[in-house]
Amino acid sequence: MKTSNRKLAGPGLAIILFGIVYAAVTGFISNSYYQLIMTVVPVWAVMGLSWNLLSGYSGLVSFGHAAFFGLGAYFVALAQIHWGLTPWIGIPLAGVLGGIAGLVVGLPTFRLRGHYFALAMLAYPLALLYVFEWLGYQELTLPMQREAPMLAMQFADHRVHAFLALALMLGAMALTSRLERARFGLSLVAIKQDEAAAEAAGINTLAWKLKAITLSGAMAGAIGGFYAVVLLVVTPPAVFGMLVSAQALIVAMFGGVGTVWGPVIGAVVLVPLSEILHARLGNVIPGIQGVVYGIAIVAVILLAPEGVFWKMKDLLFRRATKSVPTPPAAAAVPLPITARPDHAGKSVILELRNVSKAFGGLKAVQDVSFDVANGEILGIIGPNGAGKTTLFNLLNGFIVPDQGEVRFEGRDIVGDKPYRICTAGVGRTFQVVRPFRRMTVEQNVIAGAFVHAASDDAARATAREALVEVGLDRHAQRLAGGLTNKELRLLELARALAGRPKLLLLDETLAGLGGGDVEEVIAVVRKLAAKGITIVIIEHTMPAMVRLVDRFIVLDHGAVLATGLPAEVTRNEAVIDAYLGKRWRAESA
Amino acid sequence: MSAAQFAENFLQALSAGLLTGAVYGLMCVGLSLIFGVMRVINFAQGDFMMLGMYVAYYAFGLFGAHLLFGAALAPYVAALIAGPVIFIAGLLVHKLLVSRVSGMRGSALESEGHYAQLILTLGIALVIQNGGLWVFGSAPVSITTPLSSSAWEIGPLHGDLISIFVNQGQTVAAVIAVLAVLGFVLLMGRSRLGKSLRAAADNPEAAIYMGIDVDRAHRLAFGFGVAITAIGGGLLASSYPFQPYVGLEYVIVMYAGVVLGGLGSVAGAFFGGLTIGLVQQLSTLVLPNQLQNTAIFVVFLVIVLLRPQGLFGRAARRT
Amino acid sequence: MPTSASAGERKVLEITGLEAGYGGIPVLHDVALRVDAGEFVAIVGPNGAGKSTLFKTISGIVAARSGSIRFEGADLLAVPPAARPHLGLAHVPEGRQVFPSLTVLENLEMGAYTEAGRRTWKDNLEKIHAWFPVLAERSKAAAGSLSGGQQQMLAIARGLASSPRLLLLDEPSMGLAPSTADEIFERIVAIHQAGLAVLLVEQRVAEALHYADRGYVLEAGRIVLQGAPRALRSDDRVRQAYLGM
Repeated sequence: MKTSNRKLAGPGLAIILFGIVYAAVTGFISNSYYQLIMTVVPVWAVMGLSWNLLSGYSGLVSFGHAAFFGLGAYFVALAQIHWGLTPWIGIPLAGVLGGIAGLVVGLPTFRLRGHYFALAMLAYPLALLYVFEWLGYQELTLPMQREAPMLAMQFADHRVHAFLALALMLGAMALTSRLERARFGLSLVAIKQDEAAAEAAGINTLAWKLKAITLSGAMAGAIGGFYAVVLLVVTPPAVFGMLVSAQALIVAMFGGVGTVWGPVIGAVVLVPLSEILHARLGNVIPGIQGVVYGIAIVAVILLAPEGVFWKMKDLLFRRATKSVPTPPAAAAVPLPITARPDHAGKSVILELRNVSKAFGGLKAVQDVSFDVANGEILGIIGPNGAGKTTLFNLLNGFIVPDQGEVRFEGRDIVGDKPYRICTAGVGRTFQVVRPFRRMTVEQNVIAGAFVHAASDDAARATAREALVEVGLDRHAQRLAGGLTNKELRLLELARALAGRPKLLLLDETLAGLGGGDVEEVIAVVRKLAAKGITIVIIEHTMPAMVRLVDRFIVLDHGAVLATGLPAEVTRNEAVIDAYLGKRWRAESA
Repeated sequence: MSAAQFAENFLQALSAGLLTGAVYGLMCVGLSLIFGVMRVINFAQGDFMMLGMYVAYYAFGLFGAHLLFGAALAPYVAALIAGPVIFIAGLLVHKLLVSRVSGMRGSALESEGHYAQLILTLGIALVIQNGGLWVFGSAPVSITTPLSSSAWEIGPLHGDLISIFVNQGQTVAAVIAVLAVLGFVLLMGRSRLGKSLRAAADNPEAAIYMGIDVDRAHRLAFGFGVAITAIGGGLLASSYPFQPYVGLEYVIVMYAGVVLGGLGSVAGAFFGGLTIGLVQQLSTLVLPNQLQNTAIFVVFLVIVLLRPQGLFGRAARRT
Repeated sequence: MPTSASAGERKVLEITGLEAGYGGIPVLHDVALRVDAGEFVAIVGPNGAGKSTLFKTISGIVAARSGSIRFEGADLLAVPPAARPHLGLAHVPEGRQVFPSLTVLENLEMGAYTEAGRRTWKDNLEKIHAWFPVLAERSKAAAGSLSGGQQQMLAIARGLASSPRLLLLDEPSMGLAPSTADEIFERIVAIHQAGLAVLLVEQRVAEALHYADRGYVLEAGRIVLQGAPRALRSDDRVRQAYLGM
């Protein structure tokens, strides 16, 4: 992509241009029905943007955005009826109310994921629907304000509504596009792609999700309030009904999730289509609008699951950048075993005392105790199922030990959340690489750099450094999904590195690499160690490890089988038994 | 309200809850089968139920089931006819649409296709309910049977103070629902087909190593699942009026029941549905009638938030 | 060393030039191997070498990119995954993968899902119960409630219930206590001696090579050594592949 230099000007300019064109078209429309359509398109675009802000970026699908929309609509209507409050104030307050509702809904509901989250979200608007019916608000009509129509937003010329709607939409777009490229967007996208990896990279996932749903609820609440003013009638099914949530979701998904343009494209295409079909055929085919939305979303899922915007971008993108030639891999030259400083007697950075964890009846980690000295490279090896990855998960806070102590720089970190442990200085990588695939290499690393970065620029600078460190700087703008295995391993290293860790936990960083690649990754790890980062690395296979680590710990069946220098460990009888089988020594003898 | 009156109301709501709950239980079993075998949340389940109601309605009216089986029995025969019809519809929908984002093909998608499935079935739901509006019209209809307006009186008990009326139509529907669930449990427990479906649910990869065609297992599970729910819908059709949007109300009812019973557990789903029926009817003792459904949604939210593994079921993951 | 009477007469499995992997990442490169009727062949190699991927490619869970896999002469890559067991191929997967909510007996019935398995169900069940008496004792228990060793026995028995002509065993000793693993190995040898061809993938080289007729060493997705177990045992490269020094 050649967008890097117009990155800042591009979206803003495009949004302004789009606004001018839309306003011009609206200006020429004299038919009041079409004027209404021109008003409703931005309304649903804003609903789509609201949905997108939460679900599109974070991946938590909401089936319940009607809850915020309906609260906003009823608030503006009731405030005008009972207190004579003008919508000019009512709509912003509806936004505040929507935001609060978002927070209130988010706090408990973010304990859920996937299916459960989507279904729980569905229950909120439907419950509210029945409550508002029961309260006696089956049909709320906004009174006509003949003496002060401007104050009540009741304009004789419906185009003014369309312009107002457009202004709201442009505002929502500007906000989204600002957030999208900032820490907010990157953090949410990271959460969407891999929540655990995001948390391990120092992102406080719950806090970001709460921010997202608050903002999203605010947008939906405000636009719901505006909708009430435009239609003058509010009924529970019209504002809390399933079709409201579905329309928000569908315009966003149809146009493309995770981009400011998706919901707008979706609304511009689908809203007029369904409205006009409804006007023409509505009396013959009463459910035509719903059918149009239904077919649109089925088609998108089957044909372009990421939406029209991304599909088109992918088509163009593929043509534009076929060739970032990968330089030929350097010839495999095994590095000599360089002398490493002796770490005996050095200060301890990490201590484990009697750490145990069982899953049901399986004792995954049993009474493990060891120290890691500042600056050393410690290798943890053991056969499959020995409990190595579980041990890492205990160290970085993914799981809490049943008993025992884990001290990092003298402080007990048991029970801390992963992002906190990361912030304290413990970085990690994963056995099965977990890159944020839809993001560029650079964005992946930036997401990891937010831990200690004061600003987006600082994060970018840190990420740059980390990429240079691991030798991926040439590939900064490539999508992570297209990297080779070795590059993915380096990417994870860089992402962990960007969090400025004191201790790096590397989970099978060498697995599946061919000869030359192993040497390259080993060289990078050594370089990091030379800079003073303490490294604990897990591996099944010993060959590469004996040339990398200062000291080994051998795990088998969750317990420490042996510890020692590489030369000692490879001659240890218990280790040979575990690795090659008991008969090995018997038959070699 | 006197104590006796309260007791009468309570027992009345309890019996109504058990009878409705039995049918809800059957509907939940269908949904649970689909989730259990395919790990797919079928959002359109309520709309297949609605289709089942209309199949029963037309089988009863147009095709004159009542002439063949008599007015009392015909509604139930019509409900059972909904089963095979919706089974075939389910097979088609799975083959043409759902299979493309689930099973082996789903595992290649982002987050194993869960979002794609959820949203695809939402689209299917919208098409069915709004298409239904066109085909069936928006006016509520119902299947009339003499049984649904007659009741057995239990009592008077406790002197003369308490007597309870048990609707005959609902009782027959509940008995059929329970028999259908038992039949289904037998099918899953005893037959080779049922066992292979359970095996595919437990571990699809290992099922392939056994030579079980997992795609076919999924297709059958989807077909059976929507058919079972459709029969439940057909049974409800003789006691409640319905229109094409009715599915939406029941989709939450069904999910509440299934989650309560533990996602994927068939027996749990039945008891979950039964409980939801009880909650719905008992809530009328303390809440206004319009808030029946709100009570269900609140129960649903409380369950998913506090005990997502369900009250009866084995542990299920939250994802 | 146990040798089967029919060894070398007929190829049950023949793989040539096989390349396979996940997504864009290749795992296996140009793998060639064969198993003759009644033969016991072991594939050893450190973890991550691609052993399970090889088995999954044979079963069709992982798609081959090139090369051929022939089972008793038939082109296996042209057969859909779920149809392959019906040809006489039984895969006992890594990590056992029994059906936890089914009973022990139901698990075995699922093993006998193939035509051949159903035809010989009674015979097979008798043999299985003779080899693994514990499965007869616990036949009504849910498979998920068995111990790890018992689940491994069930997984093997489930494979046998299909009346296969080749048994693919993936890491049967994984995660088991040494004494249990020894017990499992003994049964495998007995099963092989009853005439069944076995292809075993195993981390524990010594045990695997002790019982096998022939062995292959897989490292980083390539067959680096092959031949008689004794020769492999004494080749220092095997030791290096595992221990590095």
